[in-house]
Amino acid sequence: MNYSYEGFKRDDGTAGTRNYVGIVSSVICSSAVVREISEKVSGSIPVVHANGCAQLGDDLKLTKNMLVGMASNPNIYSALLVGLGCETNQVSGLLKQIPKTKPIKGIGIQQLAGGTNTVQKGISIAEVWAEEAMEQERTKLPLSSLTVGILNVDADHDTLTKTGPVIGEVVNRLVENDANVIIGLSKTLEPAGHLLSERIIDVTEKEKIISSSKRLYRLRWKDPTRETTNDNEYTERQTNQAVLESEMTGSVPINSILDYGETPKENGLHLMNISSNLVESLSKMASSGCNIVLVVSKRGVLTGSIALPCMTVTPQSNKGSFDELIDYTIKGSNVHQESERIVEGLLEVCSGKQTQVEKLELGEFSIPHLGTTY
Amino acid sequence: MRTFEGYRRANGSIGVRNHIIVINTVGELAGFTNKLAGLVPGVIPVVHQAGQAQYSEDSDQTIKTLVGTAGHANVSAALFLGMGSKDPAEGIVETLKKDGHHVHSIIFDKDKSITECLKEGKAWLESALERSKREKTEKADISELIIGLECGGSDAWSGITANPSIGALSDLIVEDGGTSILAETTEAVGAEHILANRAVNQEVGNRFLEIVKRYEQRAKAVGEDIKAANPSPGNKTGGLTTLEEKSLGCIKKGGNSTLMEVIDYAHKPREKGFVFMDTPGYDVESVVGLVAGGAQIVLFSTGKGSPTGSPIAPVIKIGTNPKLYENMPEHIDVNAGKIIDQNYTIDQIGEEIYTKIIQVANGEITASEKYKNHEFSIWRLAETQ
Repeated sequence: MNYSYEGFKRDDGTAGTRNYVGIVSSVICSSAVVREISEKVSGSIPVVHANGCAQLGDDLKLTKNMLVGMASNPNIYSALLVGLGCETNQVSGLLKQIPKTKPIKGIGIQQLAGGTNTVQKGISIAEVWAEEAMEQERTKLPLSSLTVGILNVDADHDTLTKTGPVIGEVVNRLVENDANVIIGLSKTLEPAGHLLSERIIDVTEKEKIISSSKRLYRLRWKDPTRETTNDNEYTERQTNQAVLESEMTGSVPINSILDYGETPKENGLHLMNISSNLVESLSKMASSGCNIVLVVSKRGVLTGSIALPCMTVTPQSNKGSFDELIDYTIKGSNVHQESERIVEGLLEVCSGKQTQVEKLELGEFSIPHLGTTY
Repeated sequence: MRTFEGYRRANGSIGVRNHIIVINTVGELAGFTNKLAGLVPGVIPVVHQAGQAQYSEDSDQTIKTLVGTAGHANVSAALFLGMGSKDPAEGIVETLKKDGHHVHSIIFDKDKSITECLKEGKAWLESALERSKREKTEKADISELIIGLECGGSDAWSGITANPSIGALSDLIVEDGGTSILAETTEAVGAEHILANRAVNQEVGNRFLEIVKRYEQRAKAVGEDIKAANPSPGNKTGGLTTLEEKSLGCIKKGGNSTLMEVIDYAHKPREKGFVFMDTPGYDVESVVGLVAGGAQIVLFSTGKGSPTGSPIAPVIKIGTNPKLYENMPEHIDVNAGKIIDQNYTIDQIGEEIYTKIIQVANGEITASEKYKNHEFSIWRLAETQ
């Protein structure tokens, strides 16, 4: 089948499934101003978070990379960065780092002598962009311009049995049609590292996934170097479940393991290190260039990404779920048919159909911490 | 003796505001928390991204902070939103109810539809708002106040004008039987010996030195120099050169009183008088800890001009220099810059801050309240799992 969707073509070869004006705060101190600008300019989204100051090293680098990634996301038509002025994470630094492929500007509260001026200035800039974005029309685009994030949220054995093979087939279909796919590698999938490594050609990428497959490696307060021995090795049960979850990754080769807001270098299947915090993971996917996410959950999720449509897929279950938040329920047992329907549904969402979470305006953004603040 | 009009709570504490808040236990509910608050004008959303997939050091800190925030004397009623069967919301609400607080939890789970959850939440908040309007204020003594001492966007004037004035005020509050809490452990680096020498006993002094050392070591362990994040770029353009210089100015907010106690983040002081809380130098996270620890009002000195506040405590901004007051009067409540260009003394500004505290305690709105600066973020210790 020849797949396509209607999206917003960007100058750098990517494409948006949405066409937002992004109002991005560099630090928590400008978040109230960002929200106010966004409330007053329709078609704009507030990208606010709790970070941006008193940060060091990798923790600061992650914050910067994720904000650069958000401003660069193809669903964002243009981005206005709003800073305070005295923060560690300076707007001028972000402006240097963001590729110049779209309209980008930066303003600061201290430079403009207060929040009131900044809100006014921000509105006047964003309104012009919002009008331009409104005028832009969707055009027919190939799947090679799509980066689909796939996030498994709360899988148990039963859910994985029902969803794994179907989602795996969706992944294969997307990759075979030249789409980019990024699957979340969380602590539930990590124990399947050895199995997954067999599908990786690059030796360094192979080692990355094998080294994280033994036990949970995370920065702790008392052991901040990721060599924690506080966590036990993954159990056989956890490993077995991870193997079941790995079905969700299909059977195509795995190109790379992404971290720290890295973007994929070439189209294909990629895995991305994520946490089990939903908003953090969706935000990481958004900052790595995804333009849509497929969320797989047994119950449905209560939030989404501020910049990406998140299509929620659940298995049929009599245990109940948040029905009002589900976009697709896997009812049949024909893997081929179900995966075909999911891809069709996904492309409808890419072409502009609102997801349930979008209708309720529940999108959020958040930047994880690598360690503590200072 | 100075007094103010406050809201007496069932547990005996006294609030200077009568807020109705809605607060989430897990990050996934941040969107719904904002949405629900939007349905009932006057309700304040307290949102954060903590509470999910956290190690114990973080989940304990999250719960401690949420309990301190919702159970704060400035809060008339709090609605918790939680999710799933293991959510801490119901446990937190039980604890707070035992202490006489007006609280409720809604757990988003499979047996209720989203529409039902929103309907129930809206109805509870509306009745809580009505209930709060019937609550009357009563006269209270200044000794019942806990004042948080904070700085953000410091410049070279901070340690000369605003911080010493806050220090003068802190001494006055302590003399009058009240409590002041200094915070920001990283901004005591290089000046820790001065505060340690003022400790009431050796145990308190050692505890203080220990938390400063612990923070320095924490940075070194990841190969970083704490002095790289502090002073910030803005501090440097403001004339500060080193962390030691910033710290020496920072601790001036603590005046000359005896250091009675060192408390953990978001913990309530057991002693009256001058107290230190272990918090990061990150101002928003520090203010959140101070308020969760019971501070009804926070003093916040700024040289560069920072608009941030708190969802539940009035934050009084003290500007350090005349130029800031001229440029950004909308974010400044007290102009300590008058010490530079109008011959005011530190003690006079200290008095002016005291008068402002009484006015604010009696209901006067601060700059950060006017502009709805409800920033809220909990100090993170480890990576998310």
